[in-house]
Amino acid sequence: MVHKHGSLALSLGTALLGAAVVLWTIWPLLPVGRSTRPRTLLVYGFAIVEKTLTRSIFPAFQKKWKDRTGEELEVIGSFGGSGTITNQLIMGVPAELAILSTELDLLRLRQAGVLQTEAWKELPHQGIVNRTPFVILVGRGNPKGIREFADLARPGVRIVHPDPLTSGAANWAIMAEYGAALRRPGASSADGQALLLGIWRNVVSQAGSGRAARTQFDNGFGDVLITYEQDILGNSETGSRPFEIVYPRSTISSEHTVVAINKHIRPGQRELVRAFLDFLWSDEAQRLFVKDGFRSVEDRFNRGNPKFGTVPDLFLIHDFGGWLEAKKNIIDGIWKDKVLREIRP
Amino acid sequence: MNSKETKERERSSLLPAGFLVLVMLPLMLLPLAAVFLFALEEGPRMFLAALVTRDALFSLRFSLIIAFLTAAINLVLGTFAAFVLSKTRFPGRHQLGIILNLPVAIPTVVVGTSLLLLWGPIGIIGKMLDPLGIQPMFTVFGVLLAHIFVTFPYMVGAVKPVLDDLPITYEEAAITMGATRWQTFYHVVFPALRGGMITGALLAFAHSLGEFGATVMVSGNLRLRTQTAPLYIFSQFESGNLAAANSVAAILAVLSFVLFSLILYWTAQSGSRKVRQG
Repeated sequence: MVHKHGSLALSLGTALLGAAVVLWTIWPLLPVGRSTRPRTLLVYGFAIVEKTLTRSIFPAFQKKWKDRTGEELEVIGSFGGSGTITNQLIMGVPAELAILSTELDLLRLRQAGVLQTEAWKELPHQGIVNRTPFVILVGRGNPKGIREFADLARPGVRIVHPDPLTSGAANWAIMAEYGAALRRPGASSADGQALLLGIWRNVVSQAGSGRAARTQFDNGFGDVLITYEQDILGNSETGSRPFEIVYPRSTISSEHTVVAINKHIRPGQRELVRAFLDFLWSDEAQRLFVKDGFRSVEDRFNRGNPKFGTVPDLFLIHDFGGWLEAKKNIIDGIWKDKVLREIRP
Repeated sequence: MNSKETKERERSSLLPAGFLVLVMLPLMLLPLAAVFLFALEEGPRMFLAALVTRDALFSLRFSLIIAFLTAAINLVLGTFAAFVLSKTRFPGRHQLGIILNLPVAIPTVVVGTSLLLLWGPIGIIGKMLDPLGIQPMFTVFGVLLAHIFVTFPYMVGAVKPVLDDLPITYEEAAITMGATRWQTFYHVVFPALRGGMITGALLAFAHSLGEFGATVMVSGNLRLRTQTAPLYIFSQFESGNLAAANSVAAILAVLSFVLFSLILYWTAQSGSRKVRQG
């Protein structure tokens, strides 16, 4: 009989616990003190901008929108590697705006018919909202003595590199590596290829996005990570691994581009999207970007900012004839067809 | 059996049991413990703070609702499928049974992709729906579809063996006594099935709660819209927020511990009932 009582109490307890979980689960669906559904804006972005957008830019814009229209606005975002996000957009996710790491991904959207025109080119700064140079992250004390991209090709240096298939950061990093070799006096494309080969022989781990690669590095993978300067400045509090930044003499400045996906924007949303785009280039938003370690498209916000390191020779993707040329000749032509084949025949 | 014998038997089973724990320690127990240790590392207050964010709570709620709906739908659909496969004879029955079990073996990512290629805006049917403004993927409906697909075999697997074992004479006896088909099902088959159905529904619920591969493809990973708890964990881990990822992971681990305790309890119950019947 004692046993019977015990099992009764047990079933009663389980039932109560179950009921509590059910009640908690459906609580927001119950019509208790619920206001009307707010208006929403759907933004897809590459991994690095997640923190700044969700913690600074979205709240600031929501406030601005409320002041202007009195309307509650909900901004919903989804973030991942730039290539991953682009693939999702091509598969048809209903994003109204996309902020991607490279213009290459925007060109892919154009090719896939997600964008009817190269709409980002009509925006201020050709759609570029912010920039950041590519730098090398090493453990504290720089035990491997890394100063330049060329040092990464030395035997025994273990590199964490994002995956160029899904990550914008990886594409920028390849251009930084190749470009750094090419900008030495008297260098040719063969030197660029040789450096890429040396670096990629040392890659021990590939992550889906620049952000994920940073997480791997923080968790103790590898000796070095090639990444956005912003990802280090803007996330200095996360990660348990002590590190320092190495600024190479020559490196690329990445340019992150926004576009409105007109196909998904209902007529009633146009004004909202327009207002959000305008806000991105406002002084307020640009200052918020700089606060998190991005470099503004307006040089007056960057000048004299002590947190930014100096790169004597900063180059742009424009120097390689733009992303289409760079993708064809360097990412595919050299890295994929020659370097990768030589490493894994 | 006297108590001395029991003790002896307990002692002799200590060795294999100890060995099992030793093997499982690095395989499962320590990694699971690591989730909890990390989650609680900075104290229960930090654990709660990481958990009580809008995104985290939404993802947990959303996962629970989806898991409940998945289990409820598969309870009906899976039991029906098991009944058809077990009690009717038609050509291609075995092949159909194999196909229904495929989701156990094929990667769930493939399930997600196949759904996208059918229902997505560039998919075979989706292409026709898109101009009508109907978009099943990247919505709650898409997530539900993927979860029903993935957990279906577990439901069938829990119910079909019970049906197979149920002696046909019971049903025949009921029918000779003048019961209709429905009465036979309700009064004879259903009581025998109850344990299997509950186990199957709990299994479907548990698998839905932890589903990742298919969901990541069809949900669009929209926070506060279609982001399930496992997707939340992955996103947070990828962006370096270990505390946030771990707190939700710890909750999921506790939930599935409770669920599988229930499953074991129900399996034992229906087992003992069968013994009593026999």
